[in-house]
Amino acid sequence: MKKAKAFLAIAMAATLSMGLVGCGGSADTSAPAASTPAENAGTEAAPAENSGTAPAETVTAGTMDLNVMLETPVESLDPQQATDGTSFEVIANFTDGLMQMDADGQAVNALAESYDLSEDGLTYTFHIREDANWSNGTPVTAADFVFAWQRAVDPNVASEYAYMLSDIGQIKNAAEIIAGDLDKSELGVTAVDEKTLQVELNVPVSYFLSLMYFPTYYPVNEEFFTSCGDTYATSPDTVLSNGAFILDSYEPAATAFHLTKNNDYYDAARIRLPGLNYQVIQDSQQALMSYQTGALDTTLVNGEQVDQVQDDPEFMAIGAGYLWYVTPNIDAVEELANLNVRLALTYAINREAITADVLKDGSAPTYTAVPMEFAAGPDGSDYSEDQTRYADVCAYDADKALECWNAGLEELGVSEITLDMVVDADDAPQKVAQVLKEQWETTLPGFTVNLVVEPKKQRVEDLQNGNFELGLTRWGPDYADPMTYLGMWITDNSNNYGLWSNAEYDAIIDECTTGDLCTDAEGRWARLYDAEKLVMDEAVIFPLYTQCNAEMMSSKVTGVEFHPVAINRVYKNAVKAE
Amino acid sequence: MENTAAYVPVETDFRLKNNAGADLIDENFAAQSFWKDVFIRYFRKISAVIGLILIVLISVFAVIGPGMNEYTYSGQDLSQKNFAPRIIALEKFGIFDGSETMRTTTGSKEINYYTEKGLTDLEYWFGSDNFGRDIWTRTWSGARVSLIIAVAAAIIDMVIGMSYGLISGYFGGHVDMIMQRILEIANGIPRLVIVTLLLLVLQPGMLTIIFALMLTEWVGMSRIARAEMLKLKEQEFVLASRTLGAGNFFIIFREVLPNIIGPIITQVMFSIPTAIFTEAFLSFVGLGIPVPQCSLGSLISEGFNSFTTHPYQIIPPIVVMALLMLSFNLVADGLREALDPKMKEM
Amino acid sequence: MKKYVGKRILTSLFTLLAILLVLFILMQLMPGSPFNDEKLNADQRAALYTKYGLDQPIVVQFFKYVGNMLKGDLGVSYNISKNTPISQLIQTRLPISIRIGGCAVGLGAVIGLILGLIAALKHDTIWDTLATIISVIGVSVPSYVFALALSYNFGFKLGWFPMLFSQQDIFGSSVLPSVSLSMFTMASIARFTRSEMLEVLGSDYMLLAESKGISGAALIFRHALRNALIPIITVLAPLIVDLMTGSLVVEKIFAIPGVGSLLVTAIQSNDYNVVISLSFIYSAMYIGIMLVVDILYGIIDPRIRLAKKGD
Repeated sequence: MKKAKAFLAIAMAATLSMGLVGCGGSADTSAPAASTPAENAGTEAAPAENSGTAPAETVTAGTMDLNVMLETPVESLDPQQATDGTSFEVIANFTDGLMQMDADGQAVNALAESYDLSEDGLTYTFHIREDANWSNGTPVTAADFVFAWQRAVDPNVASEYAYMLSDIGQIKNAAEIIAGDLDKSELGVTAVDEKTLQVELNVPVSYFLSLMYFPTYYPVNEEFFTSCGDTYATSPDTVLSNGAFILDSYEPAATAFHLTKNNDYYDAARIRLPGLNYQVIQDSQQALMSYQTGALDTTLVNGEQVDQVQDDPEFMAIGAGYLWYVTPNIDAVEELANLNVRLALTYAINREAITADVLKDGSAPTYTAVPMEFAAGPDGSDYSEDQTRYADVCAYDADKALECWNAGLEELGVSEITLDMVVDADDAPQKVAQVLKEQWETTLPGFTVNLVVEPKKQRVEDLQNGNFELGLTRWGPDYADPMTYLGMWITDNSNNYGLWSNAEYDAIIDECTTGDLCTDAEGRWARLYDAEKLVMDEAVIFPLYTQCNAEMMSSKVTGVEFHPVAINRVYKNAVKAE
Repeated sequence: MENTAAYVPVETDFRLKNNAGADLIDENFAAQSFWKDVFIRYFRKISAVIGLILIVLISVFAVIGPGMNEYTYSGQDLSQKNFAPRIIALEKFGIFDGSETMRTTTGSKEINYYTEKGLTDLEYWFGSDNFGRDIWTRTWSGARVSLIIAVAAAIIDMVIGMSYGLISGYFGGHVDMIMQRILEIANGIPRLVIVTLLLLVLQPGMLTIIFALMLTEWVGMSRIARAEMLKLKEQEFVLASRTLGAGNFFIIFREVLPNIIGPIITQVMFSIPTAIFTEAFLSFVGLGIPVPQCSLGSLISEGFNSFTTHPYQIIPPIVVMALLMLSFNLVADGLREALDPKMKEM
Repeated sequence: MKKYVGKRILTSLFTLLAILLVLFILMQLMPGSPFNDEKLNADQRAALYTKYGLDQPIVVQFFKYVGNMLKGDLGVSYNISKNTPISQLIQTRLPISIRIGGCAVGLGAVIGLILGLIAALKHDTIWDTLATIISVIGVSVPSYVFALALSYNFGFKLGWFPMLFSQQDIFGSSVLPSVSLSMFTMASIARFTRSEMLEVLGSDYMLLAESKGISGAALIFRHALRNALIPIITVLAPLIVDLMTGSLVVEKIFAIPGVGSLLVTAIQSNDYNVVISLSFIYSAMYIGIMLVVDILYGIIDPRIRLAKKGD
């Protein structure tokens, strides 16, 4: 397990002006997580299974629910079906996996009391806590994990995140089961006894433990699942909790729902919030007004509103992990097959202007193919900390841009180029695209960009089918390792939209995932830089910025942990003062 | 004898109905053509005249407005973003002086970017937006786009809806039956579904929006045309024309059509504001005119995000749009009354 | 009469079936697919298509859907709320939309009627123009701006009404959305009332009534308004249906869990079943209301019944 670097980014307004560092600068306001043993003594004994009643007041716990704003409704509460950040956050509130994230984003034990790793790094054995129970009183067993993981790779379930077990987790036989070649019972995971789970891997996976907090790996109780039939996870009665909270009011795609503290949670003493009150608000101005009246304790703020809140000590920029970039269609568009044209385009982008003047939410200009602040190396430093590493091919330099542009035009034998760029119909991408258009057209004479605005689903399809010239897109990290990005540009990957192909690059990536470097952390790290350099030198993508979200967080609230990977907000240590 | 004499009514036995104005019916007018009549009646109505003047004014600005200063609708200057409106000539009155009061979560503050950045000679008449684009220029080019879209959509939907309704009403029987079922189906599907789908399938742009608006608006037009046709088709002049050997389509388009032009024009006038409005709605859903082009609708939905921060950004497009909506309604009302003979006596 | 009603019901059913088919074809034309996440690869997408039966020919899908629908099964959502039966989604959301839409129509109709009456009775005076301006002003500003302005002033600044919809205070939190939604109804009803009233006031029977000595309120309400009301009701009916689905903007702003915003999200994320079900419910309500209006009209006004027979 590589030590994931601290990413608790509660960066204050000052961060906005910090340019390169962006949302990374962190001022830690989280309260110490230590729980007092007396806390949980003598609270009610009856299991509060799905009951809508308010919890009894514990001695030191707060009495007020935390009111949280969501931008989009929950898509699914089924851990093997959910794919979006909102759903993950809510699922993680009431379900624990084998591991959980600590405040710094490192994997620490949750349902697993301990684990053993075999000499060859291929077999993990997890020992599940004795006191881990579901909210209906049945114990959490190894069989629950086996059932859930088999569901995740079951072609009939068709879980979107099945590749977390196969390509990324490298669990034995996962890929074959997904492809339909083997039965799901062949998955390399077995319940040795009721509380012991054994996992076999194809190759050593350095970040395997950090996958254990990813919701696709969460357990599901088979008996309960079967009793719910088709309605599993669509109402409070059809979900089981084994985590910090219990879902007590919810409807599919609800705009408001509530969770209550789970007093039977094995770590209940640590949980100091009596409950969580979620409110979905799609309009950011309504959200901010609600926040100001005190109806919300935390809310997202859009870039325009930052002017309104930037002097407020409750304002902060939270790293969201996403890398936004422009992908040129290298394979199909003749002009973009020309390296000089691509370099001209990337030199002509003023990323600072985009983040500082247009987005204003704390997003950080990025000059590397892997975004900042989510993957830490063997020495604990951020993989993309050095943003000038590829400065000779990726920087804002109008003169160089013009030079490359003219060279490119000459090689192509044309005097002007017109290209379309597909853009999501959302607010931020449209803004960024308009600035890009302006920057390109003013810096590069003879260049015209037409923006094609499409709903996201359609944009993704167009990119995947190669039906585009330039595309503005983003990618969020699935796990804390640069490979979640670098794995994209190998030949024939479905997210290698430009269909760039480079044998040397493929070889390096192969070496780092399944080859010799699996166990050599430092050597692997160095090779990953070699791979990234190839991507940057050839301008396979034009990285723009690492996304941050501008948020308001009431000064009464402390201890909410933010992470760019997997679960964006964790409330286990959160405290709300009276 | 005298006692049995019949009662002779005198003038005071009768009282006039309380409509002194109605006496004027008998006044003599010089004979004049129908259209001249309409013209005179229209201009007698003040609200209708005001509406017309406003429409003309806005149209003129939509043509010349964008050229009145040195800015272009898409030219950005990120160093001059979110400047409040400033007109130097009006500064001494304390308005349009480039300052704004921003309501922040920590209290209000007064900002004047012009003085802050030492740009003493710079003017943005309506302010600048979050890319540093001139809102004056954008408002008027937006008005231009909105007007073109709305008028084009209204005219095309008039042609289609009218023809459909006239044909359906004229032939009657099975033709009418089938055409009305088709119309019912088209009308039964939520407009939003059809419009969104069209905008997704076709290249986004002005033409597509016109097409989409047309597709959803023609139903109302065809209803009116059909109703009028049903009223007229049994009349003598139609029979006469038919007896003289006129073909069906000659009767529909040369005989009946001129007689129903009044209600049709009125309906067009009403459908223009509807089209402007629908376009604004599409912009909000993210299916409007592609950026960086703008329409009134897209300007409003852009300004909407700054509604509580920089309200001056949303005011110009909103005011222009509201005036347009109002004027078209007033003009339509005026036209209807001027054209409708039944209202003549009122 | 019975025969006429029977025939109307039968054609309505056929129309509905045709609409369903058209919807199916429209879904096929829709670009993109419901399973177009960046993180999905081609194999997984194919697996999902098989899972939901989307790989079958459209005719098979259509008949399967109709069959399931007759059993009350509207399918499941692919995206908005994964694998949730759509009937469950609609059950909780439609009543909310209907309630708010109903309040809005009621409010808009009453105010619109008053404004229209004033305009007609004070025809060609400043009152007429004023009433027209008031009724148009509500639709001159896009409803989302209007809604936010209401929320800012009455919710945030004055604190009279809640800014967001809540199940705990359904009445209070329905006020602002209902008001912002009622504007469109108000404008249409005001305009329609005005022109209908003008026509009725100018008719010969009004002259007769007046010369019989009837005057004042009795004249206007018993004779004029009553006759103007019938056509007004017929335009009101489709407005009710429109409001129930057309409220998405207001739903978005006030965080109302209704069907309008659901439909838009569904269209944009290619959630076929949700689009088809909601559109179909819309169509069914629309055609149902038109049917009722038609039949009622036939009962009230024999001329129309006869004319229909003549067709």
